[in-house]
Amino acid sequence: MTFRDIPDLALDELDKDGAIREALDRLPRSSRSGFLKAVGGGLATAIALGRPPAAAAALSRGDIAILNYALTLEYLQDAFYTEAERKKALSGPAAQMARVVGAVERAHVKALRDVLGRRAVARPFFDFRGVTEKAPSFIRTAVAFEDLGTAAYKGQAHKIESPQVLAAAIGIHSVEARHAAWIRYIAGSRPAADPFDQGLSQAATLRLVRNTGFVGRRPRTRAKRKKPPFTG
Amino acid sequence: MSLSRGMRLVVVAALAGAGVGVAVASVRSDVGKGGVAHSAPGSSRVGVVALADPPQPAFEVPAPARLQPSAFEVTWAPIRRTVTARSGPGRGFEAVGRVGARTPEGTTNLVLVLGREQTGAGSLWVRVRLPVLPNNTTGWVPRSALGGYAVVRTHLLVDLGDRRATLFHNGAAVFAAAVGIGTAAYPTPTGRFYVRNKLTRYRNPFYGPVAFGTSARSAVLTDWPAGGFVGLHGTNRPGLIPGRVSHGCIRLHNRAILRLAALMPIGTPLTIRA
Repeated sequence: MTFRDIPDLALDELDKDGAIREALDRLPRSSRSGFLKAVGGGLATAIALGRPPAAAAALSRGDIAILNYALTLEYLQDAFYTEAERKKALSGPAAQMARVVGAVERAHVKALRDVLGRRAVARPFFDFRGVTEKAPSFIRTAVAFEDLGTAAYKGQAHKIESPQVLAAAIGIHSVEARHAAWIRYIAGSRPAADPFDQGLSQAATLRLVRNTGFVGRRPRTRAKRKKPPFTG
Repeated sequence: MSLSRGMRLVVVAALAGAGVGVAVASVRSDVGKGGVAHSAPGSSRVGVVALADPPQPAFEVPAPARLQPSAFEVTWAPIRRTVTARSGPGRGFEAVGRVGARTPEGTTNLVLVLGREQTGAGSLWVRVRLPVLPNNTTGWVPRSALGGYAVVRTHLLVDLGDRRATLFHNGAAVFAAAVGIGTAAYPTPTGRFYVRNKLTRYRNPFYGPVAFGTSARSAVLTDWPAGGFVGLHGTNRPGLIPGRVSHGCIRLHNRAILRLAALMPIGTPLTIRA
């Protein structure tokens, strides 16, 4: 199974609490197939709080948006591997892969959140519907996620304006490609599916992500102006 | 690794061939940009273009973040649809309770996750703590009836004898306060429960500024509206705390419930002991 095998679903079903849409809403029109707006600046301020000097240079709104797009995909992978490790339902190479790759995806999330600061999009609420608790479904989904992540980074590379941001993004992209090769090997597939990898547009990426149905509605656990019905 | 002389010649020839390709490509890419191609010293046929060093990345990725296992981690999950909980992992087991997707307060209903099992047929079942009578009931529900998992590392202990509530985070006490509890006629139930919602901005000073809903239910007030669930809340009669003063709810001073509200996430396990 690759990301191309995931059936189609509606955006609303994917983005139950609006986090993905929030990320999309921050992308410039040139970067998101015409239905997204540009965002305000602010990255320079965030970066200045402890980032290397090269990163503190003024960066474009488009680059901020692309970093948030990347962060959204990293959230998905982070949550997926973290849940798999916590549930302890895997064994052997799949368990090792979840443990090692999960640690890397958490580091990617931290790096992106640090550089984006207050501009970082919120973490969506994920519902993996049990696929982290069975080895076959975990492996199939991991192949899809890693192939997707690799293609998604590639699909934005030409739109990144800052050479410094591009250098950082490529640094993550190649790691995602190695993850893809590893899980493909575990799945018994060729580590590289094709001799030439195509990038994937943002619209196509998000369509595929929402097709998973893994981004759920955040449970409503708070209520206002509702008289408590408790025994008192 | 050592290479034979013949092998070295082959490698040098291959690199030289590649160098031609690089040089041509680089010179082409510099056309119109003011780029300058430099020939390598001692090379008369193949130009080696000096390329710029890669830029410093805008940010760096820290070391991989290993998951820190915690003995105090507890998982909860929202209920996606009304479901019958059973005494074992399968539809053939007897029903022990039925839970809906909504609480009487209109929030998402949730359960604590205690275990999981995959049946021979491949379906996944999850053992959960249930918000039903009798208190302390657990049961098995299909994984498909639950939403995404969430994790907390807190635990609230209410000691009825000491009239005291203590919140633990990662096993360490981070909050303690005196409480009012149920009278002898309407006792606060004992056992293992969990916090399932938080209500604010209601117009009823009797409950103070914040009220937490729990999975505990009064075994006496079964006909109470909304099922007689026990809450943790503030009060408009602080002078009664600590004491046996309520219909089963756990009352705290308003300042204490506000502090607890800042520390205790939804899904926190609740132990009430005599």
